[in-house]
Amino acid sequence: MTATALTLVHDKVTQGLRIALAGNPNCGKSSLFNALTGAHQHVANYPGVTVEEKRGRTKLDGLNAEITDLPGTYSLSSFSPEERVAEAELATHPDVVVVVADSTQLKRNLVLLVQVLQAGANPVLCLNMADEAAAAGQRLDVAKMEALLGFPVVETVGHRGEGVSALKAAILKAAKQPLIKHRLVLGVEFERALTVIARELPTEEDARAHEWVALKLLVGDPTHTARIATRKGGQGVIATALAERARLETLSGLEIAVYTAERCFGFVDGLLREVSLHPARANARELTDKIDAVIVHPLLGVPIFAAAMYLTFWLTFSVGEYPMGWIETAVAALGSWVTSLWQAGSESPLRSLLVDGIIAGVGGVLVFLPNILLLFFGLAFMEDTGYMARAAFITDRVMHRFGLHGKSFIPMLTGFGCSIPGIMATRTLENERDRLTTMLVLPLMSCGARLPIWMLLVPAFFPAPWRAPAMFGIYALGIGLAMLLALVVRRTVLRGAEAPFVMELPPYRLPTLKAVVRKMTERSWLYLKKAGTVILGISILMWVLTAYPKPESFKVDRDIAAGTLTVSDDTTLTNLRAAEALEQSFAGRVGKTLEPVFAPLGFDWKIVTAMIGAFAAKEVFVAQMGIVYAMGNVEEAGADDLRQTLTRHYSPWVGLSMMVFLLIGTPCMATFAVTRRESGSNKWALLQFFGLTTLAYLLALVVYQLGSLLSA
Amino acid sequence: MITAASSLVPANISSSLEDYLETIYLLVQQQGFARVKEIAHAREVKAASVSVALRRLAELDLVRYERREYIALTEQGEEAARKVLTRHRLLTRFFEEVLQMPADAASNQACAMEHSLTDEAMDRFVRFFEYLGSCPTVIESFRRCPLSLAPDKAAARKDSNCATCRAHSKVETMSLADLRPGQHGVVEHINAKGALRQRLLDMGMLPQTPIELERAGLGGDPLWIRCQGARLALRRAEASSIAIRQLP
Ligand SMILES: Nc1nc2c(ncn2[C@@H]2O[C@H](COP(=O)(O)OP(=O)(O)O)[C@@H](O)[C@H]2O)c(=O)[nH]1
Repeated sequence: MTATALTLVHDKVTQGLRIALAGNPNCGKSSLFNALTGAHQHVANYPGVTVEEKRGRTKLDGLNAEITDLPGTYSLSSFSPEERVAEAELATHPDVVVVVADSTQLKRNLVLLVQVLQAGANPVLCLNMADEAAAAGQRLDVAKMEALLGFPVVETVGHRGEGVSALKAAILKAAKQPLIKHRLVLGVEFERALTVIARELPTEEDARAHEWVALKLLVGDPTHTARIATRKGGQGVIATALAERARLETLSGLEIAVYTAERCFGFVDGLLREVSLHPARANARELTDKIDAVIVHPLLGVPIFAAAMYLTFWLTFSVGEYPMGWIETAVAALGSWVTSLWQAGSESPLRSLLVDGIIAGVGGVLVFLPNILLLFFGLAFMEDTGYMARAAFITDRVMHRFGLHGKSFIPMLTGFGCSIPGIMATRTLENERDRLTTMLVLPLMSCGARLPIWMLLVPAFFPAPWRAPAMFGIYALGIGLAMLLALVVRRTVLRGAEAPFVMELPPYRLPTLKAVVRKMTERSWLYLKKAGTVILGISILMWVLTAYPKPESFKVDRDIAAGTLTVSDDTTLTNLRAAEALEQSFAGRVGKTLEPVFAPLGFDWKIVTAMIGAFAAKEVFVAQMGIVYAMGNVEEAGADDLRQTLTRHYSPWVGLSMMVFLLIGTPCMATFAVTRRESGSNKWALLQFFGLTTLAYLLALVVYQLGSLLSA
Repeated sequence: MITAASSLVPANISSSLEDYLETIYLLVQQQGFARVKEIAHAREVKAASVSVALRRLAELDLVRYERREYIALTEQGEEAARKVLTRHRLLTRFFEEVLQMPADAASNQACAMEHSLTDEAMDRFVRFFEYLGSCPTVIESFRRCPLSLAPDKAAARKDSNCATCRAHSKVETMSLADLRPGQHGVVEHINAKGALRQRLLDMGMLPQTPIELERAGLGGDPLWIRCQGARLALRRAEASSIAIRQLP
């Protein structure tokens, strides 16, 4: 070890090494990241984008190291947020950049290595999936590869953790002896162009990134060009880059992007020819082909897909019911336990906050955890086996009609169960615009929590023969509007050139249980942690809204005292008091204040108040209606009374208008919180909330007004 | 790159002076120096004529005498000579490679033409020729095209690649979307723009890459293709931006 290397190591002992993992999607990067960092991980979103930011810690021979898992990208072309994030991370010059490559797809995978080198990184090449490559008969001269490239090259089997210690050693070695100058050979003319441009770059530009910026200017990257243009002397270098581009294009007869790609692939080709000891057999992927012949068969494909979906949802919602019941019981038990800490009949606000606010609110969200875990288990399994891409292949034709993506299908289907896992499942969509569009319209899928509402309202307002069609109609309306809205969103707020669909269909792989469970818990934990904090806040707010201000005295009591009212039993009295309390509360007052606004929809203050409650969770609407009509907390048994009351009080048109409004408007607070988290900004959550509510208002208005006209 | 429009060379330099420059340049390249005797020999003229020409070239500051008899090119002279030589070689290659004339006939034609082209015409010609040279498929398809051959041979060869041929044989250019499942092709070029273009390039869809359409989704969209050893799904609309040549 040289003296400088020693000082470097000394510095890094105190500061820690910064390591980044780069690689194509599906190269096994997450598996390696997990193998390297173990449980020490932190997952978040990059600010303002839907891209996931994963960091973890590990020790390398006693040295602290922070590992960043860059988003999987095919290149650093900066056309997608993932690529921009990866590029930005590389621009911070991590001490070592591990380029993970799928050994069975080296040609394409190594093109990313070329770009990472151009970006001035100090790399280690990790040839992952070495087991598959070996099984296919491919053999590489790794030592020669290392000699040719001038930096460490290791073979690994990511999901089994094989070669990880060698990888760690290689990372350390690279950190101690950083690569000074890469040995890419991309052709005299190409290199000369880069040198000529780099020479003219403004002096304040990061010296290590000169070649990279030169390359970006050469290919006319808008971000870099705009940035350089504002610098002193920037115009000059941009003109030079233009001239060089023209020169290379005339010389090669190829457009610059094609020429650049050709140079990179050429280098990789040459390298692979040098180091290949034995090529992979031509029929190495037969098994995948055989499976695909069935899975995406023109006739069998759709039934198989339907069966897979059915299985997933059965797992999620049927099997999930049991633990859901347990959680409900546990939450209820916790509630009564906390209640028992106070004297019976105590009106302690703290008790009410704890029981009715926090435990009820957070419990209501916690209840979905089993669903979420199971669903994410199913999704992670489909993703890791490679089926997800096939499912997208099958559904894309329909989804694309509406400006969505094949991969939007599963999240939207999930939305029928619950919007929250649906929104979280949009993570499988790589493209930001596709992902946001799916997220925004997803609450229109009538979720499980809305089912109790339909169960209450449909029999109340529809004669028996019309009930089934009404149910069907409400679901169909949701789907239809979601599709329509997706189209609208794509033409307005998320307008822009369509992102390429071009999707790789990875070979089928048997995922390890560990990997699937890990993915599942990771996402579920995110749901609990981030959504949880917001939901806790909103729960408390909702509690305050419905519980305060408390009436000084109850009119019921005064009426009884005055003898104008007789109440037969205690329950009725409690119910009447609860109804009054709600009427007096902020929610009730807001409901009354908003009554004129909602009158054109046929709603009175009672409905509006109940709808405010529905923001906490959709099914709360039923309970709140029960309370305003002094029927207590409506459970299944009491529903019939409430139904009759509703039939008496409202016309069917009000009923329909209510259903339309509840289907479309005011996504619940958990949806709001998760959309905010997953989209990385308040903007989209607010847009979703107000957009859908406005639409709901307008449609309910049309329904009620038309209905009133017809029946008049 | 050769900039024929370079202002280094006086415009009024005569064609014979250009020939002298060329000769001196070649002699210097070959043996490191040039003398009157050798120049006269190479150009098949009398030594006296050489001296006259040299004096004129010296006046133009294109040559200088190192020692008696030993002649070297000035920087400008070298530039001018290289230019003349490049023109000569370029024209020769054009006649020989593109127009397919025999080697000596091509060289003679080049000699006859090289002095009569204006700088501008030459410049444009150079660019055109560079383009041809850099894109061998153009020359190839020209050679294969019936129009490049005597009419009797033309009928035998047809190429779907060339607009003229297409007009003659009614073969349309194909895109990837025109293939049927199971058919193969070779990528010719990518007409897509922006992100799609980049993604296709990232996937290795470069000119001359083999590509196969394996199957199509229900209703014919999306397409399932194989390229560079990977399976890819693309929408029909995207696939139609990839021009291909079908393989049997
Ligand atoms: N056979 C094999 N499978 C692997 C290897 N590394 C990862 N996998 C599997 O490949 C799939 C994708 O891996 P993942 O780490 O999620 O890839 P990522 O998309 O690059 O993050 C999973 O099913 C892994 O279990 C490997 O070295 N060999």
